[in-house]
Amino acid sequence: MSANVLSVTGLHAGYGAGDILKGIDVALPQGRIVTVIGPNGSGKSTFVKTLAGLLPARQGRIELEGAALNDLSPPRRVRAGLAYVPQEYNVFRNLTVLENLKIACEFMGRGRRMDDEVVSLFPELNAFHGKKAGNLSGGQRQMLAFACALTVRPKVLMLDEPSAGLSPLLMSELFDRVKKVNSLGVSVLMIEQNAVEALRISDTCIVLAGGRVRACAPAGEVLGMKELNSLYLGDTSLDEKAQRVDA
Amino acid sequence: MLQTFFNGIVTGVIMTLPALSVTLLFGVLKFPNFAVGAMMTVAAYLAFALNAQLGWPLLAAAPAAAVLMGILCIGIDQVTFKPLRERGGITLMVASLGLGFILENVARFAYGNSARGFVMELARPFRFADVRMNHEQMITLSAGTAAMLILWFLLNKTPTGRAMRAVADNPALALARGIESPRVIRWTWFITGILLGLGGVLIGMDRALEPPMGSNYLISVFAAAILGGLGSPLGAFVGALLIGVVSELSTLVIPPNYRIGVPLVAIAIILVFRPQGLFGQPYIRK
Amino acid sequence: MISFLILMSIVVCFSAILALALNFQWGQGGMVNFGLTGFYALGAYAAALLMLKAGANTFFAALGAMAVVGVVCGLVALITLRVTEEDYFAIVTLGVGEMLRLLALNEDWLTKGALGLAGIPRPFGDSIAPDQYQYFLLGLSLALLFGTYAFLRLVTRSPFGRLVRAVREDDVVAATLGKNVLWARVRIFAIGGAIIGLAGSMHSIYYQYIDPTQFTNIVIAYAFMAVIAGGRGAHLGTILGAGVVMVLLEGSRFLKDAIPRLDSDQLSAIRIIIIGVGLIALLIWKPKGFFQEYRLKA
Repeated sequence: MSANVLSVTGLHAGYGAGDILKGIDVALPQGRIVTVIGPNGSGKSTFVKTLAGLLPARQGRIELEGAALNDLSPPRRVRAGLAYVPQEYNVFRNLTVLENLKIACEFMGRGRRMDDEVVSLFPELNAFHGKKAGNLSGGQRQMLAFACALTVRPKVLMLDEPSAGLSPLLMSELFDRVKKVNSLGVSVLMIEQNAVEALRISDTCIVLAGGRVRACAPAGEVLGMKELNSLYLGDTSLDEKAQRVDA
Repeated sequence: MLQTFFNGIVTGVIMTLPALSVTLLFGVLKFPNFAVGAMMTVAAYLAFALNAQLGWPLLAAAPAAAVLMGILCIGIDQVTFKPLRERGGITLMVASLGLGFILENVARFAYGNSARGFVMELARPFRFADVRMNHEQMITLSAGTAAMLILWFLLNKTPTGRAMRAVADNPALALARGIESPRVIRWTWFITGILLGLGGVLIGMDRALEPPMGSNYLISVFAAAILGGLGSPLGAFVGALLIGVVSELSTLVIPPNYRIGVPLVAIAIILVFRPQGLFGQPYIRK
Repeated sequence: MISFLILMSIVVCFSAILALALNFQWGQGGMVNFGLTGFYALGAYAAALLMLKAGANTFFAALGAMAVVGVVCGLVALITLRVTEEDYFAIVTLGVGEMLRLLALNEDWLTKGALGLAGIPRPFGDSIAPDQYQYFLLGLSLALLFGTYAFLRLVTRSPFGRLVRAVREDDVVAATLGKNVLWARVRIFAIGGAIIGLAGSMHSIYYQYIDPTQFTNIVIAYAFMAVIAGGRGAHLGTILGAGVVMVLLEGSRFLKDAIPRLDSDQLSAIRIIIIGVGLIALLIWKPKGFFQEYRLKA
């Protein structure tokens, strides 16, 4: 059994009176890619925001390589190795591409130099170093956001709907890179709407609905299912399969 | 006319420093600080204490006062604004109003209402193409320009400056990129203090030292920052020069007492028709 | 001593009315009026000039002042309709307020500038015996305060009042209700303006002499403190807040006796420092005030 690099138990969180996350258990094994899918409003974004520390966890535990993250501020979590790419507003629009990249590694404490191996995965950014990030196309911004999270190689990379708004060509390009990054040893937790594409490169699929985990199964099996939308309705036949966390 | 224009440039340079602090604070902390005038007043009196009372030359008293003001600003933030950090712009504005009262009147309490002046050597003014430039104005231009260049360098070529711009651009993302916001906030206030310290000394050199010296400039400084676009340092610089020059030139056509009307009208017009000013950048307000 | 209390109560009355105006514009309507001092001055001068130059009696002068300030505020709101950001709106009103003060100071032909206007008459000043007069004035002030309070309560409970609060809570949602929203802002600000005009008239009548130095930022600090102490949005709370604030601050006048070594400049400096500290302290520790906002249960 490979160890879990990221483990979440009994997580509750929310913005106002009620909880949006109602007790979530998720484990990300070292070196794997786990994709979380679910209908809108299921709490997917809230989930990664809470993991990143932008929203306080009301209950539950978040552990990175066994060390509890609950009391750490977002910058400290990032420095501990938990990188996060938000869905939108994920680059500093008024700063240039180069400045975005610089900032991404300047405040990481140890290992402040840029990880060249990872950055070499994004050659197209080299042409835009002097351009303001706000002036890039949507696809280029997404790549920049992705690259920034990797400038200091993290242990875990969390991506919130990375393919949102991308053309099919760019989307497969993006997932291709996710796979490459993963092969460099980065464990990946992804939230996705474009389930099929994402699941193709994932090891495990988790279905989130109504703030709870509805299903957790190997990605290959889920892909093989004829009607993916049954997942969104909480198809209980999935629950019957053993909730094998490791693929 | 050329003389008026020159005077306008000097006034503009003086105003650039507080305008920069207003714009930096607005960018990083998201609120308009109405205490900038009073902060300049306090800094000027600090320099006065060092200069006239302890006998330091102004060349030494000014930077010392600026640094002291920087430290004082950090302290003020801890006590006054930090507890109100989450509360939104209006609360912070009202707090800064109260802070302005306190600072200005501490100065009044310590030094009374009568005008004071720095101890400086007298020097003959230059004449250049019909324009009289006195010693203080030359110092103002050089010190002000130097300060702006240093600030530019800081904001664009250092990690701290980048961090400040990042926080102004997108505070949540800055957190996710490892930037500790308390540290950035402390730096912002320290720089604010230095800018206001220098600004206060320059005002004290230009006019006299009296308790309302800083707040007299408040409206003009805000007009400058708004004209340039709140959040844009380049805008603050350009805005300040424009407001300075236009205000001075306006005295040729409207009664001098209404000089303050120029920035007032500018504020109203800009906020209604083009709130982001000349160089303003849209930012994420969360 | 009684005399002092009566006179202070009268001042509390019109200060409370001013605070009610701010409470209505900001607390209920979400429109921060940083130009309050300037509009207050406008009301005071309008009333004074109507009485001194146009020979109006106090009743019509007050109405005139209310109309003038109401209209000016309405115009300001109209011109700034597009400025929906709270802090930008505050800065614009600050600018307008400053402009008004500037006019008061410089348009000597009208306002006698720094010399001020003296000899402002009082209602029934000649008919009532001098030693009874303060009771009359107190009664009148209380009546006006109560009237303003009752009026605002009516407005708050009306459909217009609900619209006002909707505009404050979320102007995106309120905007889907159409152009009513924009007009609502104008009306809110204008109504508040009229009340400021009333307070200004009372100021003129009470002091019988006005000059620009009476209209400093201290005025708006008092008003803010009253609104915050009372719980922003709550009318009754605002009145009580005004009372509490005024008592605390006027009480500080007695510092003069307690600390004889300070000169008058220093004493007034200390009093203003206390105001500043009080304002910040209220914001930090009692942001919701000491009382609660009225909420319709339905």
